[in-house]
Amino acid sequence: MSSSANQLEAFLARLYVDAAARASFKSNPRVEAEKAGLSDEQCAALENLDWIGLEMAARSFAKKRQLKRPLTWFATLKARLSRLRFFCFV
Amino acid sequence: MVAEAVEAVAAEAVADAEAKAMNTPLDRVGLGWRPDLAVGILEHLDRIDLLEVIADDFFSAPRQQVRALKTLAAQIPVVLHGVSLGLASSAPVETKRLDQMARLMDQVRPEFWSEHLAFVRAGGIEIGHLAAPPRSPASIDAAAANLYRAQATVGAKPLVENIATLIDPPASTLSESAWINGILSSSNCGLLLDLHNVLANGLNHGYDPLEFFRQIPPERIAAMHIAGGKFISAPDGTQRLLDDHFHDVPDPVFELLEETAARAPGPLTVILERDGDYPSMDSLLAQIAQARSALATGRARRVPLVEAVA
Repeated sequence: MSSSANQLEAFLARLYVDAAARASFKSNPRVEAEKAGLSDEQCAALENLDWIGLEMAARSFAKKRQLKRPLTWFATLKARLSRLRFFCFV
Repeated sequence: MVAEAVEAVAAEAVADAEAKAMNTPLDRVGLGWRPDLAVGILEHLDRIDLLEVIADDFFSAPRQQVRALKTLAAQIPVVLHGVSLGLASSAPVETKRLDQMARLMDQVRPEFWSEHLAFVRAGGIEIGHLAAPPRSPASIDAAAANLYRAQATVGAKPLVENIATLIDPPASTLSESAWINGILSSSNCGLLLDLHNVLANGLNHGYDPLEFFRQIPPERIAAMHIAGGKFISAPDGTQRLLDDHFHDVPDPVFELLEETAARAPGPLTVILERDGDYPSMDSLLAQIAQARSALATGRARRVPLVEAVA
Protein backbone atom coordinates (compact mmCIF):
# COMPACT_ATOMS: atom_id res chain seq x y z
CA MET A 1 0.00 0.00 0.00
CA SER A 2 1.03 3.63 -0.35
CA SER A 3 3.87 4.61 1.94
CA SER A 4 2.27 8.03 2.28
CA ALA A 5 -0.84 6.47 3.86
CA ASN A 6 1.41 4.34 6.10
CA GLN A 7 3.28 7.43 7.25
CA LEU A 8 0.07 9.25 8.04
CA GLU A 9 -1.29 6.34 10.07
CA ALA A 10 2.03 6.03 11.93
CA PHE A 11 1.94 9.76 12.68
CA LEU A 12 -1.63 9.51 13.98
CA ALA A 13 -0.75 6.44 16.06
CA ARG A 14 2.04 8.43 17.74
CA LEU A 15 -0.33 11.32 18.44
CA TYR A 16 -2.83 8.90 19.99
CA VAL A 17 -0.36 7.32 22.41
CA ASP A 18 2.26 9.98 23.16
CA ALA A 19 1.28 13.10 25.12
CA ALA A 20 4.62 14.81 24.42
CA ALA A 21 4.20 14.24 20.67
CA ARG A 22 0.71 15.71 20.90
CA ALA A 23 2.01 18.80 22.71
CA SER A 24 4.78 19.39 20.15
CA PHE A 25 2.36 18.88 17.31
CA LYS A 26 -0.20 21.25 18.80
CA SER A 27 2.39 23.98 19.20
CA ASN A 28 3.58 23.66 15.62
CA PRO A 29 1.44 21.34 13.49
CA ARG A 30 2.94 22.11 10.07
CA VAL A 31 6.55 21.65 11.19
CA GLU A 32 5.85 18.41 13.05
CA ALA A 33 3.85 16.97 10.17
CA GLU A 34 6.57 17.90 7.67
CA LYS A 35 9.20 16.34 9.94
CA ALA A 36 7.20 13.11 9.74
CA GLY A 37 7.52 13.22 5.94
CA LEU A 38 3.84 13.85 5.27
CA SER A 39 2.66 15.35 1.98
CA ASP A 40 1.55 18.99 1.65
CA GLU A 41 -2.06 17.86 1.44
CA GLN A 42 -1.76 15.76 4.60
CA CYS A 43 0.03 18.59 6.45
CA ALA A 44 -2.76 20.99 5.52
CA ALA A 45 -5.42 18.52 6.66
CA LEU A 46 -3.65 18.04 9.98
CA GLU A 47 -3.55 21.79 10.62
CA ASN A 48 -7.36 21.69 10.71
CA LEU A 49 -7.44 18.73 13.04
CA ASP A 50 -10.28 18.19 15.51
CA TRP A 51 -8.08 19.03 18.54
CA ILE A 52 -10.74 18.26 21.12
CA GLY A 53 -11.47 14.94 19.48
CA LEU A 54 -7.75 14.16 19.44
CA GLU A 55 -7.42 14.68 23.21
CA MET A 56 -10.57 12.72 23.96
CA ALA A 57 -9.58 9.86 21.68
CA ALA A 58 -6.07 9.76 23.19
CA ARG A 59 -7.56 9.59 26.70
CA SER A 60 -9.93 6.82 25.66
CA PHE A 61 -7.12 4.79 24.02
CA ALA A 62 -4.97 5.23 27.15
CA LYS A 63 -7.76 3.76 29.29
CA LYS A 64 -8.07 0.80 26.95
CA ARG A 65 -4.32 0.16 27.09
CA GLN A 66 -4.46 0.40 30.88
CA LEU A 67 -7.14 -2.30 30.94
CA LYS A 68 -4.99 -4.54 28.75
CA ARG A 69 -1.89 -4.25 30.96
CA PRO A 70 -0.50 -7.56 32.17
CA LEU A 71 -2.07 -8.62 35.46
CA THR A 72 -0.14 -9.18 38.68
CA TRP A 73 0.53 -12.85 39.52
CA PHE A 74 -2.31 -12.82 42.04
CA ALA A 75 -4.81 -11.30 39.60
CA THR A 76 -3.71 -13.78 36.93
CA LEU A 77 -4.26 -16.70 39.28
CA LYS A 78 -7.67 -15.33 40.32
CA ALA A 79 -8.71 -14.83 36.68
CA ARG A 80 -7.60 -18.34 35.73
CA LEU A 81 -9.46 -19.94 38.60
CA SER A 82 -12.55 -17.94 37.82
CA ARG A 83 -12.38 -18.87 34.12
CA LEU A 84 -11.88 -22.53 35.01
CA ARG A 85 -14.97 -22.38 37.22
CA PHE A 86 -17.04 -20.87 34.41
CA PHE A 87 -15.89 -23.38 31.84
CA CYS A 88 -16.70 -26.26 34.19
CA PHE A 89 -20.36 -25.42 33.52
CA VAL A 90 -20.00 -25.99 29.79
CA MET B 1 -38.42 -42.26 16.62
CA VAL B 2 -37.82 -41.84 12.88
CA ALA B 3 -41.39 -40.66 12.37
CA GLU B 4 -40.90 -38.03 15.09
CA ALA B 5 -37.72 -36.81 13.46
CA VAL B 6 -39.42 -36.60 10.06
CA GLU B 7 -42.31 -34.69 11.62
CA ALA B 8 -39.91 -32.28 13.29
CA VAL B 9 -38.08 -31.64 10.01
CA ALA B 10 -41.39 -31.18 8.21
CA ALA B 11 -42.65 -28.75 10.87
CA GLU B 12 -39.43 -26.75 10.60
CA ALA B 13 -39.77 -26.65 6.80
CA VAL B 14 -43.38 -25.45 7.10
CA ALA B 15 -42.38 -22.73 9.60
CA ASP B 16 -39.57 -21.66 7.29
CA ALA B 17 -41.92 -21.54 4.28
CA GLU B 18 -44.51 -19.59 6.30
CA ALA B 19 -41.89 -17.10 7.40
CA LYS B 20 -40.79 -16.63 3.80
CA ALA B 21 -44.38 -16.28 2.59
CA MET B 22 -45.06 -13.66 5.27
CA ASN B 23 -41.86 -11.84 4.28
CA THR B 24 -40.46 -12.24 7.81
CA PRO B 25 -36.90 -13.54 7.62
CA LEU B 26 -35.69 -15.64 10.51
CA ASP B 27 -33.99 -13.06 12.70
CA ARG B 28 -31.97 -13.96 15.78
CA VAL B 29 -30.84 -12.11 18.88
CA GLY B 30 -27.84 -13.16 20.92
CA LEU B 31 -25.29 -11.95 23.41
CA GLY B 32 -21.56 -11.36 23.55
CA TRP B 33 -19.88 -14.15 25.52
CA ARG B 34 -17.96 -12.79 28.51
CA PRO B 35 -16.53 -14.96 31.31
CA ASP B 36 -18.29 -12.73 33.88
CA LEU B 37 -21.64 -13.55 32.26
CA ALA B 38 -20.98 -17.25 31.69
CA VAL B 39 -23.11 -18.64 34.51
CA GLY B 40 -26.12 -16.48 33.60
CA ILE B 41 -25.77 -17.29 29.91
CA LEU B 42 -25.57 -21.03 30.49
CA GLU B 43 -28.64 -20.91 32.71
CA HIS B 44 -30.66 -19.11 30.01
CA LEU B 45 -29.57 -20.70 26.73
CA ASP B 46 -33.25 -21.12 25.83
CA ARG B 47 -33.63 -17.32 25.65
CA ILE B 48 -30.45 -16.57 23.72
CA ASP B 49 -30.29 -17.51 20.03
CA LEU B 50 -26.52 -17.35 19.63
CA LEU B 51 -23.29 -16.18 21.25
CA GLU B 52 -20.55 -13.97 19.89
CA VAL B 53 -17.10 -14.86 21.18
CA ILE B 54 -14.09 -12.54 21.07
CA ALA B 55 -11.72 -14.55 18.88
CA ASP B 56 -8.54 -12.83 20.10
CA ASP B 57 -9.16 -14.11 23.65
CA PHE B 58 -8.56 -17.63 22.34
CA PHE B 59 -5.59 -17.06 20.00
CA SER B 60 -3.12 -18.06 22.70
CA ALA B 61 -5.50 -19.84 25.03
CA PRO B 62 -4.62 -23.21 26.56
CA ARG B 63 -6.02 -26.22 24.75
CA GLN B 64 -8.65 -26.95 27.41
CA GLN B 65 -10.16 -23.49 26.96
CA VAL B 66 -10.48 -23.99 23.21
CA ARG B 67 -12.02 -27.41 23.92
CA ALA B 68 -14.52 -25.73 26.25
CA LEU B 69 -15.36 -23.24 23.51
CA LYS B 70 -15.95 -26.12 21.08
CA THR B 71 -18.27 -27.72 23.63
CA LEU B 72 -20.12 -24.44 23.97
CA ALA B 73 -20.43 -24.19 20.16
CA ALA B 74 -22.01 -27.64 20.14
CA GLN B 75 -24.78 -26.37 22.43
CA ILE B 76 -25.60 -23.02 20.86
CA PRO B 77 -24.67 -21.28 17.58
CA VAL B 78 -21.44 -19.34 17.99
CA VAL B 79 -19.90 -16.58 15.87
CA LEU B 80 -16.34 -15.26 16.22
CA HIS B 81 -15.51 -11.59 16.49
CA GLY B 82 -12.00 -10.22 15.94
CA VAL B 83 -10.77 -7.02 17.55
CA SER B 84 -7.10 -6.69 16.67
CA LEU B 85 -6.48 -7.57 13.02
CA GLY B 86 -6.60 -3.98 11.82
CA LEU B 87 -8.28 -4.80 8.52
CA ALA B 88 -8.62 -1.16 7.45
CA SER B 89 -4.96 -0.43 8.02
CA SER B 90 -2.92 0.83 5.09
CA ALA B 91 -0.31 -1.80 6.03
CA PRO B 92 -0.96 -5.45 5.18
CA VAL B 93 -2.67 -7.34 8.01
CA GLU B 94 -0.16 -9.55 9.84
CA THR B 95 -0.03 -13.14 8.58
CA LYS B 96 0.47 -14.51 12.10
CA ARG B 97 -2.81 -12.99 13.28
CA LEU B 98 -4.70 -14.28 10.23
CA ASP B 99 -3.25 -17.74 10.82
CA GLN B 100 -4.47 -17.61 14.43
CA MET B 101 -7.94 -16.66 13.26
CA ALA B 102 -7.88 -19.43 10.62
CA ARG B 103 -6.86 -22.02 13.25
CA LEU B 104 -9.61 -20.95 15.64
CA MET B 105 -12.19 -20.96 12.83
CA ASP B 106 -11.15 -24.48 11.98
CA GLN B 107 -11.42 -25.60 15.61
CA VAL B 108 -14.70 -23.90 16.51
CA ARG B 109 -16.47 -23.85 13.13
CA PRO B 110 -18.58 -20.77 13.88
CA GLU B 111 -21.45 -19.64 11.68
CA PHE B 112 -19.42 -16.61 10.58
CA TRP B 113 -16.65 -14.30 11.71
CA SER B 114 -16.39 -10.55 11.81
CA GLU B 115 -13.84 -7.76 12.29
CA HIS B 116 -13.73 -3.99 12.47
CA LEU B 117 -12.94 -1.47 9.77
CA ALA B 118 -10.14 0.04 11.81
CA PHE B 119 -6.40 0.29 12.22
CA VAL B 120 -4.99 -0.68 15.60
CA ARG B 121 -1.25 -0.26 15.05
CA ALA B 122 1.06 1.65 12.73
CA GLY B 123 4.77 2.41 12.55
CA GLY B 124 5.44 -0.12 15.32
CA ILE B 125 3.02 1.59 17.73
CA GLU B 126 0.13 -0.33 19.30
CA ILE B 127 -2.74 2.11 19.80
CA GLY B 128 -4.51 -0.31 22.13
CA HIS B 129 -7.91 0.01 20.52
CA LEU B 130 -9.74 0.58 17.27
CA ALA B 131 -8.79 3.78 15.44
CA ALA B 132 -10.47 5.17 12.34
CA PRO B 133 -8.11 5.53 9.37
CA PRO B 134 -8.38 8.57 7.11
CA ARG B 135 -11.32 7.85 4.80
CA SER B 136 -10.07 7.99 1.24
CA PRO B 137 -10.02 5.92 -1.97
CA ALA B 138 -6.53 4.75 -0.90
CA SER B 139 -7.79 3.38 2.42
CA ILE B 140 -10.67 1.66 0.62
CA ASP B 141 -8.12 -0.11 -1.61
CA ALA B 142 -5.97 -1.03 1.40
CA ALA B 143 -8.95 -2.45 3.31
CA ALA B 144 -10.09 -4.41 0.23
CA ALA B 145 -6.59 -5.89 -0.15
CA ASN B 146 -6.55 -6.88 3.54
CA LEU B 147 -10.01 -8.39 3.27
CA TYR B 148 -8.91 -10.40 0.25
CA ARG B 149 -5.89 -11.71 2.22
CA ALA B 150 -8.12 -12.46 5.21
CA GLN B 151 -10.52 -14.46 3.10
CA ALA B 152 -7.70 -16.37 1.42
CA THR B 153 -6.09 -17.31 4.76
CA VAL B 154 -9.14 -17.83 6.95
CA GLY B 155 -11.22 -19.48 4.24
CA ALA B 156 -14.27 -17.23 4.66
CA LYS B 157 -15.02 -13.56 4.25
CA PRO B 158 -15.62 -11.69 7.48
CA LEU B 159 -18.55 -9.41 8.08
CA VAL B 160 -17.02 -5.95 8.49
CA GLU B 161 -18.04 -3.60 11.28
CA ASN B 162 -18.24 0.20 11.39
CA ILE B 163 -16.44 1.67 14.42
CA ALA B 164 -17.18 4.56 16.78
CA THR B 165 -14.65 7.38 16.87
CA LEU B 166 -14.27 10.39 19.14
CA ILE B 167 -12.15 12.14 16.49
CA ASP B 168 -13.24 12.60 12.93
CA PRO B 169 -10.26 11.02 11.14
CA PRO B 170 -8.09 13.80 9.69
CA ALA B 171 -7.20 13.93 6.00
CA SER B 172 -10.45 12.19 5.09
CA THR B 173 -11.88 12.92 1.67
CA LEU B 174 -14.97 10.70 1.93
CA SER B 175 -18.00 10.57 4.18
CA GLU B 176 -18.23 7.56 6.47
CA SER B 177 -21.11 6.05 4.50
CA ALA B 178 -19.32 6.50 1.15
CA TRP B 179 -16.17 4.94 2.62
CA ILE B 180 -18.01 1.94 4.05
CA ASN B 181 -19.97 1.46 0.82
CA GLY B 182 -16.71 1.59 -1.14
CA ILE B 183 -15.21 -1.18 1.00
CA LEU B 184 -18.37 -3.28 0.85
CA SER B 185 -18.53 -3.14 -2.92
CA SER B 186 -14.82 -3.66 -3.54
CA SER B 187 -14.56 -6.58 -1.09
CA ASN B 188 -18.07 -7.98 -1.55
CA CYS B 189 -18.27 -8.46 2.22
CA GLY B 190 -21.40 -8.23 4.32
CA LEU B 191 -21.84 -5.58 6.98
CA LEU B 192 -22.02 -5.95 10.74
CA LEU B 193 -23.69 -2.66 11.48
CA ASP B 194 -22.99 -1.38 14.98
CA LEU B 195 -26.00 0.77 15.74
CA HIS B 196 -24.55 2.47 18.82
CA ASN B 197 -21.48 3.41 16.75
CA VAL B 198 -23.76 4.99 14.15
CA LEU B 199 -25.52 6.93 16.91
CA ALA B 200 -22.23 8.01 18.56
CA ASN B 201 -20.56 9.13 15.32
CA GLY B 202 -23.68 10.99 14.25
CA LEU B 203 -23.89 12.87 17.55
CA ASN B 204 -20.13 13.46 17.81
CA HIS B 205 -19.54 14.56 14.25
CA GLY B 206 -22.77 16.35 13.50
CA TYR B 207 -24.81 14.21 11.17
CA ASP B 208 -28.16 12.52 11.36
CA PRO B 209 -27.72 8.81 12.17
CA LEU B 210 -30.86 8.04 10.16
CA GLU B 211 -29.44 9.83 7.13
CA PHE B 212 -26.20 7.80 7.40
CA PHE B 213 -28.32 4.74 7.73
CA ARG B 214 -30.29 5.48 4.57
CA GLN B 215 -27.06 5.64 2.58
CA ILE B 216 -26.06 2.07 3.48
CA PRO B 217 -27.40 -0.61 1.09
CA PRO B 218 -29.79 -2.65 3.28
CA GLU B 219 -29.11 -5.87 1.42
CA ARG B 220 -25.52 -5.76 2.74
CA ILE B 221 -26.58 -5.73 6.39
CA ALA B 222 -26.24 -9.22 7.80
CA ALA B 223 -25.72 -8.55 11.49
CA MET B 224 -25.93 -5.78 14.03
CA HIS B 225 -24.41 -4.87 17.35
CA ILE B 226 -26.43 -3.07 19.98
CA ALA B 227 -24.81 -1.55 23.06
CA GLY B 228 -24.82 1.46 25.33
CA GLY B 229 -22.34 4.19 26.17
CA LYS B 230 -22.09 7.43 28.10
CA PHE B 231 -21.65 11.12 27.42
CA ILE B 232 -18.27 12.51 28.39
CA SER B 233 -17.36 16.17 28.73
CA ALA B 234 -14.98 17.76 26.26
CA PRO B 235 -12.54 20.48 27.38
CA ASP B 236 -14.67 23.08 25.57
CA GLY B 237 -17.71 22.18 27.66
CA THR B 238 -19.47 20.21 24.93
CA GLN B 239 -20.19 16.51 25.25
CA ARG B 240 -19.42 13.50 23.12
CA LEU B 241 -20.87 10.00 23.25
CA LEU B 242 -18.35 7.33 24.24
CA ASP B 243 -19.14 3.81 23.04
CA ASP B 244 -17.97 2.00 26.16
CA HIS B 245 -20.41 -0.96 26.29
CA PHE B 246 -20.79 -0.34 30.03
CA HIS B 247 -24.39 0.87 29.85
CA ASP B 248 -27.82 -0.34 28.81
CA VAL B 249 -28.92 -0.01 25.19
CA PRO B 250 -30.59 3.40 24.78
CA ASP B 251 -33.91 3.87 22.99
CA PRO B 252 -32.45 5.51 19.83
CA VAL B 253 -30.49 2.29 19.19
CA PHE B 254 -33.68 0.24 19.37
CA GLU B 255 -35.26 2.74 16.97
CA LEU B 256 -32.39 2.22 14.52
CA LEU B 257 -32.82 -1.53 14.94
CA GLU B 258 -36.50 -1.26 14.04
CA GLU B 259 -35.55 0.85 11.01
CA THR B 260 -33.04 -1.77 9.87
CA ALA B 261 -35.61 -4.54 10.21
CA ALA B 262 -38.01 -2.49 8.09
CA ARG B 263 -35.42 -2.09 5.33
CA ALA B 264 -33.10 -5.11 5.29
CA PRO B 265 -34.36 -7.95 3.09
CA GLY B 266 -32.27 -10.75 4.60
CA PRO B 267 -32.30 -12.46 7.97
CA LEU B 268 -30.63 -10.39 10.67
CA THR B 269 -28.42 -11.46 13.54
CA VAL B 270 -28.37 -9.04 16.47
CA ILE B 271 -25.76 -9.22 19.25
CA LEU B 272 -26.06 -7.35 22.53
CA GLU B 273 -22.57 -6.26 23.64
CA ARG B 274 -21.76 -5.61 27.28
CA ASP B 275 -18.16 -5.27 28.48
CA GLY B 276 -18.47 -4.19 32.11
CA ASP B 277 -20.62 -2.80 34.96
CA TYR B 278 -22.64 -5.94 34.36
CA PRO B 279 -26.31 -5.67 35.26
CA SER B 280 -28.42 -8.64 36.32
CA MET B 281 -29.04 -11.37 33.76
CA ASP B 282 -32.73 -10.39 33.88
CA SER B 283 -31.79 -6.93 32.66
CA LEU B 284 -29.72 -8.33 29.76
CA LEU B 285 -32.52 -10.74 28.85
CA ALA B 286 -35.00 -7.85 28.92
CA GLN B 287 -32.78 -5.95 26.44
CA ILE B 288 -32.66 -9.05 24.23
CA ALA B 289 -36.46 -9.23 24.40
CA GLN B 290 -36.71 -5.53 23.52
CA ALA B 291 -34.45 -6.16 20.50
CA ARG B 292 -36.72 -9.00 19.35
CA SER B 293 -39.68 -6.69 19.72
CA ALA B 294 -37.98 -3.91 17.69
CA LEU B 295 -37.15 -6.43 14.96
CA ALA B 296 -40.75 -7.67 14.87
CA THR B 297 -42.11 -4.11 14.70
CA GLY B 298 -39.72 -3.25 11.88
CA ARG B 299 -40.54 -6.42 9.95
CA ALA B 300 -44.26 -5.67 10.31
CA ARG B 301 -43.67 -2.32 8.59
CA ARG B 302 -42.21 -3.99 5.53
CA VAL B 303 -44.27 -4.28 2.35
CA PRO B 304 -45.07 -8.00 1.96
CA LEU B 305 -43.33 -9.50 -1.07
CA VAL B 306 -46.66 -10.68 -2.50
CA GLU B 307 -48.06 -7.12 -2.46
CA ALA B 308 -44.82 -5.68 -3.80
CA VAL B 309 -44.89 -8.06 -6.78
CA ALA B 310 -48.61 -7.47 -7.44
